Amino acid sequence: MLALMSREADIGVTPEEPGVPATSPQDLLERVAAGDQAAFSELYDQMAPRVFGLVKRLLRDHSQSEEVTQEIFLEIWQTATRFDSNRGAAVSWILTMAHRRTVDRVRASQSSRDRDVRIGIRDHNPDYDHVSETIEVRLEHERVEKAMSRLTGLQRQAVSLAYYGGYSHSEVATMLKVPVGTVKTRLRDGMIRLRDEMGVAS
Amino acid sequence: MNDRNDDLAAQSGAYALNALSPEEREAFEKHLASSSETRTETTELSDTAVALGLAVDPVTPPPALKTNLMAMIAQTPQLPREADTAVVADEASDSEDAASAPLSNVTPLAASVSLAADGSAEQSSTSAAAPATPAQTKAQARWFTRPATALAAVAAAVALVVAGGVVADSIGRSSIEQSSFASQQADKLAAINAASDSQRLVSTVAGGATATFVWSGELAASAVIVDGLEALPADQVYELWYIDDSGARPAGLMDAAEDGPTWRVLDGDMGAGDVVGVTIEPKGGSDAPTTDPIVVFESA
Repeated sequence: MLALMSREADIGVTPEEPGVPATSPQDLLERVAAGDQAAFSELYDQMAPRVFGLVKRLLRDHSQSEEVTQEIFLEIWQTATRFDSNRGAAVSWILTMAHRRTVDRVRASQSSRDRDVRIGIRDHNPDYDHVSETIEVRLEHERVEKAMSRLTGLQRQAVSLAYYGGYSHSEVATMLKVPVGTVKTRLRDGMIRLRDEMGVAS
Repeated sequence: MNDRNDDLAAQSGAYALNALSPEEREAFEKHLASSSETRTETTELSDTAVALGLAVDPVTPPPALKTNLMAMIAQTPQLPREADTAVVADEASDSEDAASAPLSNVTPLAASVSLAADGSAEQSSTSAAAPATPAQTKAQARWFTRPATALAAVAAAVALVVAGGVVADSIGRSSIEQSSFASQQADKLAAINAASDSQRLVSTVAGGATATFVWSGELAASAVIVDGLEALPADQVYELWYIDDSGARPAGLMDAAEDGPTWRVLDGDMGAGDVVGVTIEPKGGSDAPTTDPIVVFESA
């Protein structure tokens, strides 16, 4: 089983109240699949800051990020019945879906550029709170940074632009002035090296 | 394995990062259904991508978002559970319309509720915020109904990948040597994009090109990316400027790219609230702007 799965209890959740062990996202998602709305509420509380943080990193725009986060959680509700804990971690399932939906939105809104003009302006008046950085997030951050530092320059640039910038491989190729085929190779080599550095492999 | 499958298998990283076009994504997912080696690798790379996501600072959404969602799920039906064993074989040959039935009565409801500016739910018949299409949901389901894979296959796939990766790397490096300047620029561009406070503005350049300004206050750095920038005569150059109350500071020169977007990370530190402008200057650049800017960005 993937290493990531066994770490789920540590990484999935925001700080709990002392002495009250939180139910794991895994268990919650299984209850959500049975139509349990209270479990959905708890799952939302645990995962929403993670999802919203990721969505916002890619989209920047606050109100679009809210829309997409809402879509993602609605999809979690609708498709929880298809989640199988034997085949992957709940946190992975949720964050993978979140990244994909956000990238879909990045691509969709590239055709309506006017919307983007407002982005920076609105972002200057943030009316939301960052969750205070937990030890888990900091460790995760250090782990990623360390692994990233082991990549070649081109691998790091390509992976970073694709994941955190939401750029497609052809956009990455034009920005880095390398052929698309090279970008594909770099994305794969880079991800494989990250996997090995971070011990995500089985 | 034929060439086409090799080519598809090489897209695992791009797929895990959601960097493929919709058509490529679909072709790759078809390939996933038929290759357990690619499936194993893709699973691992997807989980690696999740680790990148977990390193992002969490941000608490506004409370209204949850209120809306709880109201929405109370009236949104869930997909029926699927019979586990039939899934992979069934879906590999599935067409989109066959998959559309379960969600068709769900989508309009979900799409009709959008967030108003004040965070309350409002009804809207034209919301662009459509949830997953049936095909997407189907792909998701297929993706996560992969069968368990034998350890031997994993080891073989990893060995193959490592060997292939090394070869491709050395070929790529010699034919596409990046100059150290270009490489530094690309590093900085990636860092600005990855910064937690990264922001961007889009504007239209005189002449019709589209310019994007991306910056990070934390890094005190910014970049300008122009799509469709016109080439200048040989005796002229584009010059970038940081502009504040005390005037304009030169922040670098750029020539229009022959193909693809023209972009440049600005030289020097960006100050809070700096305006950024691009002008056309004589070859070699100027100490102060001599023409009106073709585009201006106000970061504050």
